[in-house]
Amino acid sequence: MAPELLLLALSVANYAVGALAALIFRGMVGRALVAVGALVGSLGTLALGAWCLATGATLAFAAPWLPLTGLALRADGLSAFFLVVVGLGGAAASVYGFGYSAHYDGRYSLRLLGAMFNVLLLSLAIQVLADNALTFLVTWEAMSLSAYLLVLVEHDQHGTVRAANWYLAVTHAGFAALVAAFLVLAGGDMTGSFAAMRSATLPPATRNVVFLLALVGFGTKAGVIPLHVWLPMAHPVAPSHVSALLSGVVIKMGVYGLMRVALDLLGGGPPWWGGVVLGLGAVSALLGVLYALMEHDLKRLLAYHSVENVGIILLGVGAGLMFQSYGLPGLATLGFIAGLYHTLNHACFKGLLFLGAGSVLYATHTRNMEQLGGLISRMPRTAACFLVGAAAISALPPLNGFASEWLVFQTLMGGALVPHPEAAIGMAIAVAMLALTSGLAVACFVKAFGITFLALPRSAEAERAREVPTSMQVGMLVLVGMCVALGLTPFLVVPVLSRALAGLGGLPVTPIGFSLRLPFSVSGVTGEMSPLLVGVGVLLLGTLTAVVLRGVADRRLRIGDTWGCGRVGQTPRMEYTATAFAEPLRRVFAELYRPTEDLSIDFHPKSKYFVRSIAYRSEVEPWFERLLYTPLLSALRGAAVRVRQVQAGSLHLYLAYMTIALLALLVVARWSR
Amino acid sequence: MLLFYKILKVGVVTEPLAPGEPDVIEVAREVETKARRLLGRAVAIREVDAGSCNGCEIEITGLTGPVYDSERFGIHFVASPRHADLLLVTGPVTRNMEVPLLKTYEATPDPKVVVAVGDCARTCGVFRGSYAVVGSVDAVIPVDVFVNGCPPEPADILRGILTALDRLPQRKGRGDGA
Repeated sequence: MAPELLLLALSVANYAVGALAALIFRGMVGRALVAVGALVGSLGTLALGAWCLATGATLAFAAPWLPLTGLALRADGLSAFFLVVVGLGGAAASVYGFGYSAHYDGRYSLRLLGAMFNVLLLSLAIQVLADNALTFLVTWEAMSLSAYLLVLVEHDQHGTVRAANWYLAVTHAGFAALVAAFLVLAGGDMTGSFAAMRSATLPPATRNVVFLLALVGFGTKAGVIPLHVWLPMAHPVAPSHVSALLSGVVIKMGVYGLMRVALDLLGGGPPWWGGVVLGLGAVSALLGVLYALMEHDLKRLLAYHSVENVGIILLGVGAGLMFQSYGLPGLATLGFIAGLYHTLNHACFKGLLFLGAGSVLYATHTRNMEQLGGLISRMPRTAACFLVGAAAISALPPLNGFASEWLVFQTLMGGALVPHPEAAIGMAIAVAMLALTSGLAVACFVKAFGITFLALPRSAEAERAREVPTSMQVGMLVLVGMCVALGLTPFLVVPVLSRALAGLGGLPVTPIGFSLRLPFSVSGVTGEMSPLLVGVGVLLLGTLTAVVLRGVADRRLRIGDTWGCGRVGQTPRMEYTATAFAEPLRRVFAELYRPTEDLSIDFHPKSKYFVRSIAYRSEVEPWFERLLYTPLLSALRGAAVRVRQVQAGSLHLYLAYMTIALLALLVVARWSR
Repeated sequence: MLLFYKILKVGVVTEPLAPGEPDVIEVAREVETKARRLLGRAVAIREVDAGSCNGCEIEITGLTGPVYDSERFGIHFVASPRHADLLLVTGPVTRNMEVPLLKTYEATPDPKVVVAVGDCARTCGVFRGSYAVVGSVDAVIPVDVFVNGCPPEPADILRGILTALDRLPQRKGRGDGA
């Protein structure tokens, strides 16, 4: 038996064991078996992906005896890469989940959580291997439904059911678009095999329809603005290791699907395809981070950052599609590499951040940043891990976010070589938007880390916080290691990614090395960087500063209180709040946010110089809900009310419908023959 | 436009120095050269009102006004003791200001000097014996220079600052304490 098949069987079997164990065993044993099943399964998935990437082996497996068109699996470079993403995210989340789900025992259903967690991982692993439409759609739906059930685990918490319903509705709208896309793409070929779709030649109009349907379908999963509304609702209410998986891996399936359909099955298209993807990416990146800045719920903030990072990934993918259609395969490959690299990196650092936020939630039972603070002295390891994640997502060298965002920048700069002014200008604008996004992301994570971990605790819960169990720390440390390793070694990662892409949609097979000199020769347009050197530089600079401070400078050191204008006592009420931190940006972008403010002061009845209480409330206008979803929902509702008249509940009427339908079918059958 | 019109219409309103006053400018110049030598920059001053009647504050404010304009001589008033080289303390120390004054002193980085401005800062003046007063400034924090007067003139305050600067450690021997 080939090693690929063996690894696949190993990982599927372990997921299945984990899922079954969740149903049979309870308590500690159940949690341990779930974690072991998911961990070994994920490691198997990771090994399978890594093996295929390293050796270029292609797995092929078909089970045509299954109903309909049967099961068909095949691993090419793209699948193998996403298997690595799934395995990495799954492994960290399952280790972490063992400790994290302890406090669910007796409160929520551990069976549901454990079983669905494994089912989700299993469907993710199978889905990226799917080689026909049916396999893809079935696993896609399995992924969506298991994620839905996972979001629902904390069902009695405020907002959970609403969030899950939104998720279900949006994801099924997307699923409908996907079914339509695959039906059109198959074009009457009832096997729905991807090989047939690749070789089929469709008229341009049909190809455009397929592309747009796929964009909607995969866009809902990826959380592209304006299809993102479910994401900041559903991700925060899920258990935190599930949030890590949802944000780190599940939404990436949208990216995978888009690349599979647009690049592989359709083989690329006219430039406007890439332009649309690029535009959506730029808008998602910028608006995602802008909305993240206004969030004071730690996990919602991270969820909006997922929207932002999917935007950055799509900037790379969109630029790749554009370059491909303009006949610049070198730059196109660079664009796709940038997108994929950022996909992997985002899976690591966003997984890490969600796990960190989960640890905070575990220790303090609140996600509200205004209730946190002072956790760095109480949970130093969690704080250190979160800091690494925050630095990585802020694209600070030498961590991984920097390497991939740099690649995206370089790709977009290459837009100057496109001989069409509209594309070149569009890419220049995208560069500007990405630059603004990166800057705002730093501001947002200064807020997220500073308010959550520094200064004094703002509530009794934060005061009592303790460091989380070892298994949760291990889960985070795995991803910390990946963030550092992926950041320092782009010269190893980039050639692997270029091999993964080779052959897709007519991209050149020649692997691109990591010189990061742009793969074209125009005098003056080169850019090089080496995160490893930057890392060494940072280390040297840090050591040098420490040496200078210790040896050369004045050694007398006094540690005093924080200066609080001489007030006798320092209280947490004097601290900078998250709202206050974001206030300047809220003013700058007031046109976008349209904030509503409500300040009510309760004075003492005798004198207005004595204030009994002050309440301040401020909200940001939910544009997308108001302008897009409310009209859509009311139209749907109206249509449903009208359809309701047909379904009157009368048996006689239904019998009449059936008779009419039968007659109509007979007539049609007669006619068409 | 209105602004320019106003500027043109009003013209220069600062008064020339009275005879005998130019030596104040000389003192300020001395402060400047001394600060430059000792610190390599402007001297940063944090003013603390420990319970003064605000007479001294009016004179200190006069230092930064159009007549003396002390900023041009590198005499810089700062908003936080964290930035300060020199504390300018006025008034008798009241009970409410005792802890803030101490905290301000502790928050000021070394090396630092303290100038107590006005008679009250030294003797508590008319407030001596009041239930609200802790005592003179040197009862709470170490004082380097007292400036007499009720209130002292800006020139006296400048001389006080100049004297106090001498008590800063010399630049060569920075390590040997303040």
